[in-house]
This record gives sequence, structure tokens and C-alpha cells, in this order.
Amino acid sequence: MSAAHKVLVANRGEIAIRIINACRKLGLGFVAVHTREDMHSGHVRHARTHGGDGAVYRVSSYHDANELMAVADASGATAIHPGYGFFAEDFRFARRVVKRDRPLIWIGPSWGVIRELGDKINTKRLARRLGVPTVPGSDRPIYDEMEAEELAQSLFAFQADQGFERHLVLLKASAGGGGMGIEEVERMDTFRSTYRRLRNYAKRQFQDSGVLIEQRIFDFNHLEVQILGNRRGDAHVHFGTRNCTIQSTGRQKRVEVAPGFAPGELTYGFDAGKVLDDIVEYSLRIAKEVGYNSVGTWEWIVTPKGDPFLMEVNTRIQVENGISGAISKINDEGPVDLIKEQVRCALGEELGYSQDDVSFDGLSIEYRIIAEDPSNRFTPWVGRIDRFAWEEQPWLSVLTHVPTDEPYDIPTEFDPNLALAIVKGKDLAEVKARGVAFLDSLVLAGEDRAGQSLKSNVAFLREKTANILEF
Amino acid sequence: MELDNRIRKLQDRLSYIRDIFGDKENANIALLQARLDEFLTQERGMSLADQMRHMAQLEDLFLFLEKKLDAQLTPMDRVRIVRHPARLCLKDILENVYDNYTEIGGQDEYSIDPSMLIARAYITRRVGKRVINQPVMVIGQEKGHGQEFRNGGSVKPWGNAKALHYMKVAETENIPIHSYVFTPGSYPIEDYPGAAQQIAKNLFEMASLRVPFVSVISEGGSGGAEAIALSDMRLMLSHGYYSVISPEGAAAIEAKTRQGERVAPELIAKCARQLKITAADNLAMGYVDKVIDEPPLGARVDHYDFYKTLRNEMIKATNQVILQVKGMKLFRSLALSERLARKGQAVDAEEVFVSWNLSSKARENLVWKRHQKFRRLAQTAYMDTRTFGEKVVGRFQGLAWAMNSYFRYEFLRKHQRKIKRLQEELEAEVHLVRNKVGKPIRAVMDKFAGGRPQTVSEEAKTSLTQLSKWDDKGGLSNGKWVYTSPKAKEDRTVTCPNAETHGCLDLWAPDLFGEYAGVCGYCGHHFTMEYQWYLHNVFDQGSIFEFNGQIESGNPLGYEGFDERVAEAKKKTGLKSACMTFESRIENLNLVVAMLVAPFRGGTVGAAEGEKFVRAVERARRKHYPLLAYVHGTAGIRIQEGTNGVIQMPRCTMAVQRYIADGGLYLVLYDTNSYAGPVASFLGCSPYQFSIRSANIGFAGPGVIKETTGVDIPPDYHQAHQALSRGHIQGIWDRREARKNITQALLTMGGRNLYYR
Repeated sequence: MSAAHKVLVANRGEIAIRIINACRKLGLGFVAVHTREDMHSGHVRHARTHGGDGAVYRVSSYHDANELMAVADASGATAIHPGYGFFAEDFRFARRVVKRDRPLIWIGPSWGVIRELGDKINTKRLARRLGVPTVPGSDRPIYDEMEAEELAQSLFAFQADQGFERHLVLLKASAGGGGMGIEEVERMDTFRSTYRRLRNYAKRQFQDSGVLIEQRIFDFNHLEVQILGNRRGDAHVHFGTRNCTIQSTGRQKRVEVAPGFAPGELTYGFDAGKVLDDIVEYSLRIAKEVGYNSVGTWEWIVTPKGDPFLMEVNTRIQVENGISGAISKINDEGPVDLIKEQVRCALGEELGYSQDDVSFDGLSIEYRIIAEDPSNRFTPWVGRIDRFAWEEQPWLSVLTHVPTDEPYDIPTEFDPNLALAIVKGKDLAEVKARGVAFLDSLVLAGEDRAGQSLKSNVAFLREKTANILEF
Repeated sequence: MELDNRIRKLQDRLSYIRDIFGDKENANIALLQARLDEFLTQERGMSLADQMRHMAQLEDLFLFLEKKLDAQLTPMDRVRIVRHPARLCLKDILENVYDNYTEIGGQDEYSIDPSMLIARAYITRRVGKRVINQPVMVIGQEKGHGQEFRNGGSVKPWGNAKALHYMKVAETENIPIHSYVFTPGSYPIEDYPGAAQQIAKNLFEMASLRVPFVSVISEGGSGGAEAIALSDMRLMLSHGYYSVISPEGAAAIEAKTRQGERVAPELIAKCARQLKITAADNLAMGYVDKVIDEPPLGARVDHYDFYKTLRNEMIKATNQVILQVKGMKLFRSLALSERLARKGQAVDAEEVFVSWNLSSKARENLVWKRHQKFRRLAQTAYMDTRTFGEKVVGRFQGLAWAMNSYFRYEFLRKHQRKIKRLQEELEAEVHLVRNKVGKPIRAVMDKFAGGRPQTVSEEAKTSLTQLSKWDDKGGLSNGKWVYTSPKAKEDRTVTCPNAETHGCLDLWAPDLFGEYAGVCGYCGHHFTMEYQWYLHNVFDQGSIFEFNGQIESGNPLGYEGFDERVAEAKKKTGLKSACMTFESRIENLNLVVAMLVAPFRGGTVGAAEGEKFVRAVERARRKHYPLLAYVHGTAGIRIQEGTNGVIQMPRCTMAVQRYIADGGLYLVLYDTNSYAGPVASFLGCSPYQFSIRSANIGFAGPGVIKETTGVDIPPDYHQAHQALSRGHIQGIWDRREARKNITQALLTMGGRNLYYR
């Protein structure tokens, strides 16, 4: 690998720090960007410490592609890492990066792949073509009322069959987006009128009367499969599964566990080991078909009966990649730094190992420590953090951009994610005990403008630790 | 006293001559001046008889030299004649040509538009022992002799609307219409309605007006003239002009002046000469039917003899129009024939009595004759490079389509419908019987089943989890447009003009002109795109079949240097004219498309474009196809073709009118700047007009409005949403949804005679 490569880290916070660290491990140069609000963020300090003043550029927004390109050109960057969020899954940005007159290396799946898997209908159809199970429902816009009715009827029958308590069919305007044009139907009696209303709305609003007939499943486990492909997209390995069922009311993940189930230690109403094997196999099948060429996450729904359905594919590094790395070993060396692997592959290196060289060991939990009020619908808390400390442990790593030695004002522009804590243990009992131990040792205090003390989700996380992986 | 009057008259005549000839040095004028001065100095010493004798001599000299000067008139001088305040006006004509009249639709300044004058007039005469009264509707622009409120005969849209209203009245009353064109051009205002919108409406209605219509052109300025001049017989005063644009306007365009700059008078005069605007030129080209001779140096208010000539001509013209469609004409048409008239003596129309009442069949015939008349015009003004054989085949092909359509859509369909109806009736009967008989059986079955929830078929279940068939991709195949603009190949960023107000971020050109189809992703601003974009992304792939490609734009007036400019446009665009006509499909629906292409001389319409358009309309009519006029952009009528271009306004409108009346669907879609003549006629008359958001629609561009009216207009004056609020267009479309919207329009709009109805 040529050390001449320089990576523009087009993100902020803890992921920026992790990318910078990965670059340092690989001996690559890096450039970090920050906005005015983020001036005192840990990632800026980190970049300045390890790369000097030349490695830090100020931009007006992380969303401004032109400015990022200008920074890349000015700093002589040769590659760009989008992290997660912002431009990570924007195929246009990825395309621009590689198609401009001075092309850069895009550290992520190629834009064609992002586009193909970014479209949910397309992903669903691709999966069905490959015989991969998807959430029952339509895989294309329905224009015919009779057909729509038939689909809805079968969906209700399916939900009854699965033994769901709440039955809900979703109607979505296929041309809609951003939450517009979605209706819920609970009974077949009201289907027709709702369908017609939505169809007419879609016709008026989007000039297209196509409607997707889907369902909402309430009682399910959310599993993920972590995949890595090489630059050419012809060699793939997986780094196991994760369980992300513990979420806030707004369906934001709060606790993630790897692996997805613990069949050896817990009993399930279905063959959990087989489900895990199945979803890994299915995910790889799709990755091979599209020639997936970076890290990516396949998100799955598992119903109480043990039926897995593919939900979507996240074509980016995810927040919770650390726990997959923590339980994985390559040629008996661990933990694995997935970001490092991603950067390495993006720069054209071969994987250098196969699935047989990847082994798994133990369990890992990731807590997202967030200043929010779980008792009040997870409302974010904004203010100044005065104290932030924990007991260092060999089995613990805390990723944060919040400084621990000085007060820190949480910027209001971004989500109030404070830290990720990754706990590792050899079995379920140990990892749970360590998790609780960590949370108990955590000191987090602050005050907002109104003099109210800091609210965090620590208690919520501790409470949820008791029955992780149970289903 | 009498002498003083005569002197004053001569002085007036002289100053008139000076006005007409401007600053030009002319020996004859100098001579007249010298003689008049000489007379004035000598007159005091002379006896009355001498004075009278000298006066008579002087008057003879004036007459003689006026005739001589008349022969030297340049086109620009003629322009000055018609604009002179002493020029006869419509009011004078009403007073002197007609025997009795009542002004309707307003009086003087108390009118919705004082520049448009309407009167119900009578021609009363004695033929033999009978006294006959013949009513006519007189419509025309009134310049007034310097009356400010007349706006110089420049009619506002509501003035044209008023004219149309009274044409309809005349149609109801079944009386002929006499229109007098005294306008430098229409007032280019966009209001409710806009100028273009109203003129288009006028033309469309006039195309099917079921009464005899005679028009007289004195000053015929483009669109304003056409608004009341689509007639069965077009007469022209010998000193008038009829032109696509005022010579000043043409010169301003030629010189590419910016606002406020002055154009050299020589260039204006040159333009006036080259545009062939005189009566003789227009008669030669066939755009007027007859020229009425005026007294030397043009008719003025006090030329009473001329009114008599005019009256005679008007009666004769009306008679001729009527006789060509009348069943019982016998010898009366002979009586009017010029050939049979005794040499040197004009036919006195006053002596011929033709009833101006028409039967309804004759009125139909009249409209048909009018269509034919305009269809035949401007046939030599374009270049047709087809061989003789191809032309003949083309003729036969048209006939074959017409026959084919008749069999398929008129003859066969009638029977098909009958059979289908019968089939439906039978099915309904069977269903009823089956329902009645099966009811008890079903009731028993239900009882046994006992309220079990409805079972779902296996087939329905697999439809939930299996891949379904879906072959809808539209113009966007696999997220990519079929055609990508060359602008999408440059690595640069584009700033949206709304960035300041809407906060749009800069867009990367390959995204903007590629995937976004030139639409700003933040505010929806539409950048303009090439016509090829539409050609390949809107219509079904590979379905485009161009026809009449061999009809080429030329230089019918021999306009100086224009041959090279046309050749250059042809070379640059690879097209032969600004109008592309082709057959195509959208979602497998056949349609005929006429596309005005902006890169070819601004999408201007000349004889070739008009002819191609008319032929496209005829093709659509014969084949029962819908017709789409896709206006990628048009700057108006091509001024370098003069009246050859203007005449396309009524020609194309009439073709369209006939197509619509036959039950077709005429759809117009504006894309970029669409202005002037075409919008004010065959485009603006469609009941279904839409625009892409990038369109500007109007009568005259901002520069011309400032130039002619002195008014500064707001920047959004011509934007599509303004046209929408004026009711000119029916909707504004996103460019990326053009295909979808056209399909929707094809399915839901238009008449009953389309092939797929």
C-alpha cells in the first residue's frame, strides 16, 4: 500500500476518530473537517494531535459536497471516507467523487451498488429473484384495486397465521417519500376506502397512482449481518450477526449485541442457530449477486415463529460495527477493526483471508450513551456536560468525542449521541455482569441552561441488559 | 377668402409632402416650395383674375408633381404615409362609405378599448327601381387623427376580444363583416387575457366564422392585423403596408441593439425595402387579393372620390365572396367579372344586386372555401427537395390514409360497437339468471361452512412472497435517461438562480443535467435542455419516424445575407427547418408531433415551418392520430420572410381548427421561451396547452415591450405560472414527468374521433 494515500474524513464525532485511527494503523495520511459548532469536538482535537493543523479544515456544513471537494483538492486527499450518515449512502456523491475530473477513491461500496441497494423496492425484488425471503407484501407499485385488495387480504391472513397480536397493513404511495402518503389499515373493512383515498392523493400529489401494499410487524427481533467484500466485489466474508432489538420509541437503536442469538445459552421457540446460519447465507447470496465491494449490513426481521425476512441493506459502515469486530478474529488475531479492513480493501488490497480464517469468540454488547429522557419519549437533553468518567477495564472500550477533562456543550445541530461503550465477555452471564458493572461505574453529570440536571439513558440501558437476546 | 383657403390647402399639401419624404432632398419638392413662395410674394400685386389663373396653374403643378413624387415613393415613405395624422381613418370611412351607421361597443374614449371600433353600418342603394338596405358589421382599428386615447390603433387584448364578440354577433345575425386594419401592431400586454392568447382565440374563431368576411388593410402590423383580417377577401390600399414587424422593429433586431439605443434611419429604410411590405409586393405574393388604388401620395381625409372607390370595391368584394358559394348565381357573377367589363371602365358594383343572405349550406361552403384559400398560400416560399415522383406518391399516400381511416373508424367501428353492445346485453342476462338460480345453493353452502374466515388462495399467498412481473420503466431505464445532455459531461458546479432566495446548494453539472433532467433538486428551478432530450426521453424508444424532412427553409424575399444565415443554421443544427415533424409513440399510443426547435434560428416560423406544421396537422387528421405541438422554443415569426411568415398564422390556425372540429386532440407543450406570432395563433388556440416549468410565454419579449410601450415589466411577467393564472395554459409540468403527463393527456383529453377511442 502506498503511503501517498490521504483520506478525507467527511464526518464528525466518534466515527471520524475511528476512521482517523484506522488510517494511522495503515500508515495513511488523513484530513478531518469540522463546522463552526464542532470546533471543540474530540475528533478535531484528535486530528490535530495526530496530523497537525494541516489535517484540519473548517467547512460550513458537512452536507456541502462542493466544499468537501474543495477541501479534498486543497489538501491533496486521494480518498474520501464518508463515515455513516451525511453522504454515506448518497450514490450521487459517491459517483461525483469517482467521476470528477480529479477522481478520488471512494471508501465505500461503488455508487452503482449504493443505488441498486438504496432503492427498497429494487432490493426486495433482487432478494425475491434470488429466493431470499422478504417481508410479505407487494414488491412493485400496485395500480389495480382488485389486486391491492387481494394482497391486503393475504397479508391479514399471514399476520393471523403468524399469531401476531396486532394486525396492520401499510399502504404507501410508491412515488411518495419522507413519510408522505402512508396510511395504515387495521381491518379489511376499511381497506377499500383507505386505498382509494391514498391512490387519489398519490395521483394528485405525485402524478402516479401506484401504491405499495406492505405490513407492519410489531413483535419481532431486529438482526443484522455484517459483510465485507473486496474492491472487485468477488470475495466476501461475514463477521457474524448482531441483535439490535432494543430500541427507543422512535425506533432508534440503543443496545446492540453480537452475535444475534445465543442458542447455546438460551432457549428459543425456533431453531435459532439455523436462523443465524440462514440469514448469513442469504446475505452473502445477495452480496455476491451485486458484487458488493465494501462493508455493509444486511438488516433482518425475525418473527416469533423464527421466520427471517430481509428488511434492507445498509451500504455503509454502521455505528455498531465495533461489536462485530470485538467478537471476531482473523487467523486468531482479534479484535478486528472493520474500518481498517474497509479502508484497506477500498485502496485495492486483497482481503488476504477467507471465511475459514475468521473465527468468533464470546459476546459483545454496545451501549449508546445518549443525553435523553427515556421516560419522556426519549426527548433529547441539551446542555453542558461537566463530568464524564468511567472505570477503565480491559474488556471495555469507550468511543467518544466528548472530552473527559473539560466541560462540553452538546451542539444542538447533531444528534446528542455522547459515547459508545463496547463490553466484551466470554459468555452471556459474564457480558451482562460486565455491562452492568460498566454502567454503574459511569459518572455523567451536567446542567442545562435552565439549571436542570443532565438526563441520560443509562438507567434504561441497565434495565434492558437483564434480558438481552431473549425472544 | 376662397383664395386664402386654396393657399392654405396647398400649404398643407406641401407640408404633408415634406412629412412623407422626411429630410430627403428632392428637386420636385424644392420646386413646389419655390413656386408657392413666388406666388405668395407676387399675389399682392396681381388682379383677382390673375391670382385665380396663377392659382389654377399652381394647383395643376402640385397635382402633376404629386403624381411624379408618388412614383418615387420608397417603402419607408409609405410607412410614413399610413402613420400620418392626415391619413384617412375608420371613422371617415364609416361617415363616407356607409350610408348609416351606429357605433357599438363603446363611444370615443368611453369604450373598453377606444382603439378598436365596431359599428353596425348600412349600405343603402338604388338598383333599378328597388331601394336595398344591406347591413354589415364594420370592425377595425381607429387611429383617430392624432387622438391620444386611441393608442395609435394599437389594440389591447380586450379590444380584440370585443371585436371577436361582435364577429359572433354578425354570425348570429347572418350579415357580412367588413374589417379595416389600421394598426401598427397589437399592444404587447399580458393581462386577463394576454395579447397572444386573445389573438390566437380570434384567429381560431375566425377560421370557422360562417359569414362573408372582407378585410381592407391600410396599416397591417403583424399579429394586431391578423386578429381581424382572417377573411374571405383581403383588399389592400395601394399606399398601405402589411408586414411581419414594423421596419424599426426589424432594424432593431437586425442591428441587435440594446434597450434605448437608436437605430440608423438608413438601416430602417433598408429593412422596410427588404421586408417587401408594400401592397404591390403582397399582391404579387398572393397574400392580398386586390389592391385599391389611392390618390397620389395616399388617401387623406378630404379625398372624397376615394371613398366612392372604396365603397364600390367593398360592395364588389362582398358580392364576389357571396357568389362563389351561392347556389343561384346565374349571370350575376358574370356581371362582376373584370374580363367582361368594358375596357377602361371599372364595373360599377352599385348596379349589381346580390342578396347577402346565405343559406346554411352556403355558409358551410364559405368556411371550406376560406380554408382552401389559405391552404394554397405561400406554396413557393419554401424549398421542397422531393423529386416529382415522391410528390406524387405523397399525394396518393394522403388519400390512402383518408380512405383507410374512413373504413376503420367510420365504417367498421359502427358495426363493432353494435356487436359489442349486444354481447354486453347477453352477458348481463346470463349473469342475472345464474345469480337467481345459484342463490339458494350458496346459502346452504355458507351454512355448512359456518362463518369460517375467508381462506386465502395459494396463488394470493405466493404473490406476497414471490417476485412479481413488472415491466414499467418509462423514459428512465435503470435510473438513467436514454439520452444524456452533453452538458452533463462537464465536471463543474452550477449555481441555481434561486440560490439566494431558496438557499439551493450548488449542483454538480453531471447530476443536474443528467439524472435531474435540468431541474434544481432544491427549489425545482428548470434549467433549459436540448430538444434531443425530449426526443429521446419522452417518446418510446426507436418510435420516431420523421416525415416531410425535405421541406426546407429558404429565403423567399431574397433578404440580403439571409441565405448564408439559413445555411449556417442548417449546418449548425443538422436540421432543414425549425419545425421537426414526426410520428411517434408514447406508451404505445401513436401520435403526430410537430416540434419547434429553438436552436434553428430561434425556433422562428417561416413558410417551411408553417407548411410542415399544416401537413403534420393534416396527417394527424387523416390518420385519426392525436397531435402534439412541442414548442422547444420559438421567438415568433421569422421576420426575414416577411408576410410569408405572417400568413402562417392564419394558415396553421385554420388547419388546427379543422382538425379539432373533426374530433382530434391538439395538445401544445411549451418548454422554453415561446413568444409572438406562433403563440398568438396556432399554438395559443389549442384548448389543451401545457408548459414545462422552464417556459416563458407571451406576446412580446421584455425588450420589445419596453421599446413599444415604455413600460418596465417585472421579471416574472412571462413565467409559466403567470400564463397559468391568465388561463392561457392549463397546467405546468415537471420536465421529468412530461412523458407521464402527456400519456395522461392523451388518455383523458380531446375529441371522440381519435383512433384509440
